[in-house]
Formats: sequence, structure tokens, C-alpha cells
Amino acid sequence: MSYYDLDAILTDAEKVPCKFEIEVPDLGYLDNNPSHPLKAHTPVSLPLWLAELLAIANRSANSQDSSPFLTLSMPQTLSSEVTSALKADPRAVPLRDQSHNFYALATRMMEIFEDLDMCAVLRRTFVTRAGETALHARKAGASDDYKVAGGEDFMRGLEAWERALFLRAHDGAKDSKVWMEGVKK
Amino acid sequence: MALPLPPGLVPTEVAFLCEMELVTIVPRQRLESIPLLSGATPALRPPHRAQIPLWLALLLKKQRRANIVPPAWLHPASLAEIIHQETNVDSEAFSPPPPPVMRSDGRGGARQYASNPEPKPGDLVLSPPFLPSCTADAPSGYLPYHWLEMSETLLAHAADDVPSAAEVRTLLRDLQEVRAAKMRGSTTQLEGGGGVVGLRGVGAMELAESRGFVQGVVDGVRKIGASVEQARREDEERGYGDEGADESDDEMGFE
Repeated sequence: MSYYDLDAILTDAEKVPCKFEIEVPDLGYLDNNPSHPLKAHTPVSLPLWLAELLAIANRSANSQDSSPFLTLSMPQTLSSEVTSALKADPRAVPLRDQSHNFYALATRMMEIFEDLDMCAVLRRTFVTRAGETALHARKAGASDDYKVAGGEDFMRGLEAWERALFLRAHDGAKDSKVWMEGVKK
Repeated sequence: MALPLPPGLVPTEVAFLCEMELVTIVPRQRLESIPLLSGATPALRPPHRAQIPLWLALLLKKQRRANIVPPAWLHPASLAEIIHQETNVDSEAFSPPPPPVMRSDGRGGARQYASNPEPKPGDLVLSPPFLPSCTADAPSGYLPYHWLEMSETLLAHAADDVPSAAEVRTLLRDLQEVRAAKMRGSTTQLEGGGGVVGLRGVGAMELAESRGFVQGVVDGVRKIGASVEQARREDEERGYGDEGADESDDEMGFE
């Protein structure tokens, strides 16, 4: 992952729900309550880069007390409703509506939570949707019009990784089509 | 720094390499042997058949100095048989590549083309385009490595030499679609985690076409499984003493 990777930066900025374990002074504006301290256990949304650090770091310098500043919970994007919908039919869920960087966010969350079940569901989702993506990519690459017959809804639901995959599959099909048309010369 | 081209060969490069493949021609004019860097071409004496590289055969064909004898696998019956094999017999795997080329040794035995009777480590193992897989005596019913490029080129430049060219063209389109669908399907084997995509018998052009996609899928699956894999590895290292046997499985995983 490169320092300048835009997708990584955007993933870092995704908001995740979390709760502070302690009362934080001067942070009341996060809860629409400026000039008051942020009370403990108020649900707030923080960007992933900040929440991750605060969830891992120890509150006090001595290593005996290992309680972190806040507790992190799964974002709505990866809630049980979404995973059960993905279990039912991976192709029917527009992942882009959940998050533009769905898989990137999911892998980051799995690094924190180590959810075996979710890993299996996501892998199945990715692989199934990849096959479908390639089908549309080949159609688009091997014919001149970019309009995808019948798959508009599906294509609109592709998130960042799947878009990159579509592009690679499309370029491959396109290159070989260009060669095949030029072979007569 | 990003390279301008993706890794691997692009279709035009594959087609260029395919021009090194040997094809059989029937010359119409005499032509002395030409000493080339890749070796001298055989002297052409009509009406004896000769095997020359595809690029030279195309040149002679354009000048009407030779006719190309298409390989046996390009016959409509052979292609139909391969399509049957791909769709009905084994709808999972690709049809197998041609068997190793055997040469008779003149004493009733047969041995592999251009290889020692007793193979030693470090011996030359021949692969396309150094195998005569597109000449007239190539076996029918097997697709060689450069099948798509070779057949497209022959159909484009020597269509009058290919028997029932129109039918061959349709069959080739079918075959291409069937195999492209298999290539897409092969990635779904990765679902279980650690499955390996079997690409035996896939042609060079198909590889060039799907390389980006297959790599992308493998990469994605690896990234999704990375955290779980990491945890598993740590577990394994802790219990390394009694689980040494699992090491070989580890290698098979997506790495």
C-alpha cells in the first residue's frame, strides 16, 4: 500500500461508530453540544485512523492498566443485516451504496476484530461478484458500445476494488479484440 | 514508479511470438536455404512439403509462392470434437494440451521429440514455439499453446488454404467463448480459501487476455484473508513443535 494511495486515504477517513470510555473535555461539539465536555459512553462517529489509534492505545503510561480510550464497534456497512444479505445472494447487494471502499474498510475492521465468519462471507462475495464483473467487462471490452446489456444495476453497485478489477478485465478483452481486428493488415 | 505496461505479455507480443511457430507449406517455387539467426530454413523444392516459421510462410503465401497446409486440429471435425470435450465431457477443466511429440527411432520404438532417451537434470525441455505443434503432422483434437493466434492468422491470411474456413471461424468463436467462461469460472474455486486455479491447457492469447483479471481476483482474496491468515500463522508458530506437518499446507495457501 503506497503512501499516496487515494483509496487507502479514503478508507482511513471512513467514519466508524465508537464510544469514549472516559469523559473528554472540550470535545462536546462531536455530540452537538459545544462548551460541554463529551460524556463517557456517548456514541460518536470518528474517522477510522483516529478511532483505531485510540482503541488500541493504552489510557495511561504504565502497562498494567491496559484499558483503551474508547471502544470500537462494527460500522453499519458491515452490520449483520448486510452480511446476511451477502450470504443470501452476493450479486444482489449494491456494495457501493454501503461504502465506496467496502472491502478495504472490511479488511481494516477484520484486522481489529478477527472475525472468521465475516472473512468467509466476504471471500465468497468477492469471488462470486468477480465472476459477474468479468462477464460484463468482457461484454464491454469485446463489443464497441460501453452500455452493458442488462447489468446496469449491478455495475452501479461495484465498489473500488471491483471497479479496478473490471478495468483490468476490460483492458485484457479490449487488447485482444484490437489485435484480432488488426490481424488482417 | 509505475511501469507503462502491465506485467506479462500483451496480445500483440503473444502474436509476434506465435510467428516463430513452424508450419508446413507446399512450395510452388524453388527457394534455396536461407541462413537465418534462428537456423537455416530448409531448401524448398516443389512439390515437397517443408516446415518453415509462420512469418516466412505468410510472406511466401502473400507472394503466391507457397500454400500453407493447416494443422490437423484446425479441421472443423477436430474443433467440434474439442468443443464437445469442453462442454459435455469435462465442463470444469480446459481441454488437455497436446501429448509430447514422439518420433520413431527407425527400429520400431518411439521416443520424445528432441530429448535425450535418459533425461538428466539440466536437459533442455522444449516448449512452444520450439515444438512442431502447428505443422501438418500435429495431432488433431488437441489445442496447442498458440492455438488462437495461429488459427486467427491463418484464417486472415490463408483462408483459401483452410478447409471450410467459414465453419472453422464459427467454431473458433464458440470455443473462445466456452473457454472464456471457464476462465471466469476458474476463479470461483478460490472461494474455499487456498484453492488453486487450474490453468492446464490454456493458450497464450487467453492468458494474455485474462492475466489482469485472474491476478486481480487472487490479490483481492489474499488481501481479504490477510488478517485471518496472519492470526493463523501466529497460532501455528506458537504450536510449532507439534504441528510441523502443517508446513506443506502452508505453502499451498495463497501467498
